[in-house]
Amino acid sequence: MTPYALWSDTPVSDLRTADHLLLRLAAELALPEGTFGCTHLVRGDRPRVALSFTLPSEPLLRTAEERLTARGYEVTPGVPDAVGRAVLYPGADALTGTVTVGELLAGSAIDRVMVLGSPGQPPADQMLVTNSHVRPQWHGDELVLAAMPAVGGTLVPFEVPDPTPCCAAH
Amino acid sequence: MFRTDSPQAAHYYGRRVTQEGTAMGHGHGHSHEHGDHRHHGQEGGGSTELPAAFDTSVPDEALSPEQASRRSLLRRAGLLGAGLAATSVIAPAAAPAYAATGRRHTKGFLWLAGDHHIHTQYSNDGKYRVVDQVRQGARHGLDWMVITDHGNVTHSKIGVEKVNPDIRAARAAYEDTLVFQGLEWNIPAAEHGTVFVHPGRNEVSVLKQFETDYDGGVKGATDSTPANEALAIAGLNFLADQVKRRKVQDILMLANHPARKGIDSPHEIRAWRDATPGRRIAVGMEGAPGHQAGGMPANIGMGRARGLYDNSPGANSFAGYPLESYRTWGGFDWMTATVGGLWDSLLAEGRPWWITANSDSHNVYTDTAVRGPNSNYDVNGKQDAPVYGGKIDLTEGDYWPGQYSRTHVGADGFSYAAVMDGIRAGRVWVDHGQLLSGLDVRVSGGGRWSTLGGALHVKRGTKVTLTVDVASAGGPNWAGFVPKLARVDVIQGDVTGRVADRDTFTAPTAKVVKSYDVNRSTGTVRLTFDLGRVDRPVYLRLRGSDGNRSAVGAMGAAVDPAGPAIDVIGDADPWRDLWFYSNPVWVLPS
Repeated sequence: MTPYALWSDTPVSDLRTADHLLLRLAAELALPEGTFGCTHLVRGDRPRVALSFTLPSEPLLRTAEERLTARGYEVTPGVPDAVGRAVLYPGADALTGTVTVGELLAGSAIDRVMVLGSPGQPPADQMLVTNSHVRPQWHGDELVLAAMPAVGGTLVPFEVPDPTPCCAAH
Repeated sequence: MFRTDSPQAAHYYGRRVTQEGTAMGHGHGHSHEHGDHRHHGQEGGGSTELPAAFDTSVPDEALSPEQASRRSLLRRAGLLGAGLAATSVIAPAAAPAYAATGRRHTKGFLWLAGDHHIHTQYSNDGKYRVVDQVRQGARHGLDWMVITDHGNVTHSKIGVEKVNPDIRAARAAYEDTLVFQGLEWNIPAAEHGTVFVHPGRNEVSVLKQFETDYDGGVKGATDSTPANEALAIAGLNFLADQVKRRKVQDILMLANHPARKGIDSPHEIRAWRDATPGRRIAVGMEGAPGHQAGGMPANIGMGRARGLYDNSPGANSFAGYPLESYRTWGGFDWMTATVGGLWDSLLAEGRPWWITANSDSHNVYTDTAVRGPNSNYDVNGKQDAPVYGGKIDLTEGDYWPGQYSRTHVGADGFSYAAVMDGIRAGRVWVDHGQLLSGLDVRVSGGGRWSTLGGALHVKRGTKVTLTVDVASAGGPNWAGFVPKLARVDVIQGDVTGRVADRDTFTAPTAKVVKSYDVNRSTGTVRLTFDLGRVDRPVYLRLRGSDGNRSAVGAMGAAVDPAGPAIDVIGDADPWRDLWFYSNPVWVLPS
């Protein structure tokens, strides 16, 4: 990741809501190609999700900072932690339908695919059903997608777009 | 219409089943508190009454369909008739003479199958009448059940009271099934948990007060904050106080689907466990969650994750948990399924923490009933009674109580108190798909022995032997086939004492120390494992499977070469991946 990063706190504690907020901000701020937008989990007395944006250059960073500040966001330089979960990243938009692991690695900023419960990495011709919801995470300086074995010998991303809700919060 | 009031059925009063050989041995005590073993014999069965299914003086034709179903399962396990006494097939023929001189456990235990996690129309996401669930549980061979509707404001005001007459009616209609009233508690700062009480005059008022004051949903206290964690402990203290003040005879709490969302941190589980040392209230967790049909392929089912374990880390989850913890492994929760994982780290402390397996039944896969169409839960505190839907429901992932998951409790008689005592003592093993029909575990050495949940105290250097008698399935399960037990594993770990870091979730010494190829679907088999001369405190637990799916465990092949595999999304037919797990027994040399 480049050092041209900033982050902002949010009142949001739900990841799906945070994703929407991040994508809406990215659209409103007209963030350029090559931007990474990540969610970060903030634990403690007020569990919530923070958002970070990492931009390709310092001028672009400054523009984004000005626009966020103008919208009332309090921004902090850098990222809150090194394990951001990427919602916005180069190539994310193209990850729809079913792709091979090779296509996914070649066409996006994702560096590696790991499969839960299996050692090593899947072959390049392994099919992955994206569910249009691909959220890789930073591990050091690698952007890694965790995947799961799924029906018909395919993989799916570990994170599902519509996790089963907790039935009782009512 | 629910039971047969035959003259024969009346004969069972005053009889007593003795399944010799499954008793706790001498020296039991360890560091656990086991509570007082009171047997008041009130409210639906004292310890001297036996269900007709267990009583050989009641002929088969005098049994109701539910009783007959239960009896057929007992027959398979060798638990009926002549085998019920000292010569039971799952009891060693040569029971040690001293067993007869022990305390009140000398006569052995009645193994009662049950489920502590069942929803009804009093849940916002439920559907069935109480009697629907009790009838199905009885038919599927359960002896005890806990009705656990979700805690919420509406339930605390209406449902917790309205459900009680339905439960009492079900107790009356099914005298051979123990039906507890409980609550699915939103544990403040954490997941759900079963809280249930011994029946009695105050069963409703205690639950209502508890839900009103300590439910995380009712109190807006679901976030994983220190203040909410403290509220959970206050709730457990309230429950312990209700027992102390004799408002109710007993209360237990068990954590449900503990790893599902990563929000039951290791330090919270330890805090619940240690909260009420005078009388332990929180005694364990679901080793396997319900919703086991959630991974059925999309063309015939939900096409989701087994157990509906499809969440991912969030702001309330414990940061240390790996992604693997959010999914099931052979249908079991990661905390239990990982050899050398969280459960082992708790057992390595030498402290009791038990596992169970339940249905979490809300809406049953392939059922034809649908929720009452004019339901208004918020106003009525319940859904309307279900109606016939005219088609088979493939959009749900649950089984009936007892249909797939069973929690087997070694009870000192057929009573509410005895089931609660058995759970608190850890005399519990669990299975899926009726993989086994009976399990008798004992460790012996130095002229003493002990069984599940207990501790064998011996002099350092004493030779110790584990003996396991397994009664295989012996008949078809509810999917229509006779399951085969392929393998049994013995897992052993050192007892290393209290952890310094309360968020510890690994146990480096735990490993599979022996595997037995059993490959049986009928008859019984005895497995023996020689521990040699024991020079340090250890515990042993058992696990077994149908051998259909396995993978190297998270800690490597040297620890678990053939453990459960992660369940495949949208392709996890639970009947094709069956496991059983036992609770531990400790060996403590002095």
